[in-house]
Amino acid sequence: MEDVLAQGFLVGGVYALIALGFILVFKSSGVLNLAHGQAVAILSYFLYYMLVVWGLPSWLGIVLIIPLGAVLGVLVERLAVRPLLVQPFLSVLMMTLMVSFLLEGVRILIWGADSFVLPFTPRGQWSIGPVDVIPGTAISFVAAMAVFVLLLLLFRYTKVGLSMRVVAADHEVAQSLGIRVKRVFSISWALSGAFAAMCGVLVGMVFTVTPIMGSTVLGKGLPVLLLGGLNSIPGAVVGGIIIGLAEALGSHWFSAAKEVVPWIVMLVILLIRPYGLFGEKRIERI
Amino acid sequence: MLPSGVFNRRPQQDMAIIRTGAQWVLLAGGLVFLVTLGLYAPGHWMNWLILVGVYAIATLGMHIMTGLCGQFSMGQAAFMALGAYTTAYLGTRYGVSPWLTLPLSGLVAGLGGLVFGIPALRIKGFYLVLATIAAQFIIIWFIRQQSWLGGTYGIRDMDKISIGGMQVADATPEFWWMTLAMVVIMLFIAKNIQRTTTGRKFVAVRDNDLAAEVMGINLFRTKLLAFFIGCFFAGIAGWLWAHNLRAVQPELFSFQLSLWFLGMIIVGGVGSTSGAVMGAVAIMLVDKAGPSLSNVVREAFPSLKYQVSSGLTLILFAVVVIFCLLIEPKGLYHRLERIKLYYRLNPFAY
Repeated sequence: MEDVLAQGFLVGGVYALIALGFILVFKSSGVLNLAHGQAVAILSYFLYYMLVVWGLPSWLGIVLIIPLGAVLGVLVERLAVRPLLVQPFLSVLMMTLMVSFLLEGVRILIWGADSFVLPFTPRGQWSIGPVDVIPGTAISFVAAMAVFVLLLLLFRYTKVGLSMRVVAADHEVAQSLGIRVKRVFSISWALSGAFAAMCGVLVGMVFTVTPIMGSTVLGKGLPVLLLGGLNSIPGAVVGGIIIGLAEALGSHWFSAAKEVVPWIVMLVILLIRPYGLFGEKRIERI
Repeated sequence: MLPSGVFNRRPQQDMAIIRTGAQWVLLAGGLVFLVTLGLYAPGHWMNWLILVGVYAIATLGMHIMTGLCGQFSMGQAAFMALGAYTTAYLGTRYGVSPWLTLPLSGLVAGLGGLVFGIPALRIKGFYLVLATIAAQFIIIWFIRQQSWLGGTYGIRDMDKISIGGMQVADATPEFWWMTLAMVVIMLFIAKNIQRTTTGRKFVAVRDNDLAAEVMGINLFRTKLLAFFIGCFFAGIAGWLWAHNLRAVQPELFSFQLSLWFLGMIIVGGVGSTSGAVMGAVAIMLVDKAGPSLSNVVREAFPSLKYQVSSGLTLILFAVVVIFCLLIEPKGLYHRLERIKLYYRLNPFAY
């Protein structure tokens, strides 16, 4: 039982990491980036390709994949999202969804239905105190916590973070304050791309690199995101841990329920608190 | 906009969907073409036509939910599954006549829509989209778990549907004519919903739901009604699909299919009834072009293997929708209107 709880807790950290990738873009540009899942998947496939086919050492591969992710993020922003700046939200949502289809299509064309285990995945089990944990999950949890603190600091104390928040609140106000909205957009998408690369490394380690990886990332990230609230960084961590624990307990007692537990928890929370646990309620005027 | 010299002198003329003689001729010609298509179209096109009909009905439902009322749904395929399973289960287990299960399928899907539409009162935008994604996953998961619904295997060997003693089988001209009739009826219903009080309420809620509420529109009822009608259409589409395949299984109603429906209304033009059908036809043409294009690609790059077809179809779909979003955000319907306007005003620009 302790093992189940510990594993759920740590996997919750991974989910939080995934959700943070969505929040980063949403908080700074007001776009729900549905392409995040497939971006993670394609970057992890490419990482595997670099490590095994080109024979690069693991550290070099990881160092290379992060700027590549940033480049991918900027490309998506410049080519797909920026032309839709003033369009209604369905258009932008649909655009990110189509980018996700595009990435998935490219991945299917190149790698098909192959699945891999990243070569640097640690094996066996670690005993931490009374419980046994899977090492990949533990590493990811630590990384998620580190990223969480960094993001909090970014949004609270740096000028870039502050301008991102202003841009998300209102493009026009931001522009009149002298913030370069387009620059802020590019930065936030580059960050999110780099984030996707990091998720690719860590999630690839936890769940292995499979064709359904993209939809897994999306399917776990979205409930966490909603549970915590779309623009709350602490919310993602709390939501991730709640979903991780709920999923672990749910599959412990009723093994078939693993894939829907996050969605059911999310629906229940939505009915009680429509803006998530920590989301800020927007007051609307006519 | 009417052609020059045509005036509405009576209210009936103002209300007519088909107003001028030329429109009647075009409609009759188009219908004759579509009906006779059943006689000489080859088998695989026959399958394609029927599938387009099924998807067009589901897309019309999406149009009412999303295009008119602004309630985004990414779970339309799951509601189709509810309709399809209703008729398959009642038909194979209790021998209920398909014509009796036609309204039942719609009702079951509509009730499913009501259940998942309840959060729509308090949430909107992204939150609502995600709630409907939850509907998609929960419904399909539920179906897969139930042994009385056949689990992942689904329900097979449904009886052929009979019209007046005549058996209508899988991909025959008769089935296509039935599909065509249903599409026309549903199109008519959707068009008329759009023009009634209900439709106007939907549009008011879409444009600004707070203002609509201030104007005295019951927001909860209107949103739920939109969900009910949209999912009712999905249930009818599911009924038709189940009787076409004479088998249902959970894999048919994937999340991806729901997204295709969303793509269809975007390509066709959000908020236009005929646009929904045009979008369904356009996207399905792309889908049809996928395999033939993949043969070309496979010859050009022999290292790519069996996966080319599924990958290319995805890429093509994405490219078409992205193209529409960037170049033609109002959809094919709007482009058609522009072309008609051009010829109506020719040789002047306005």
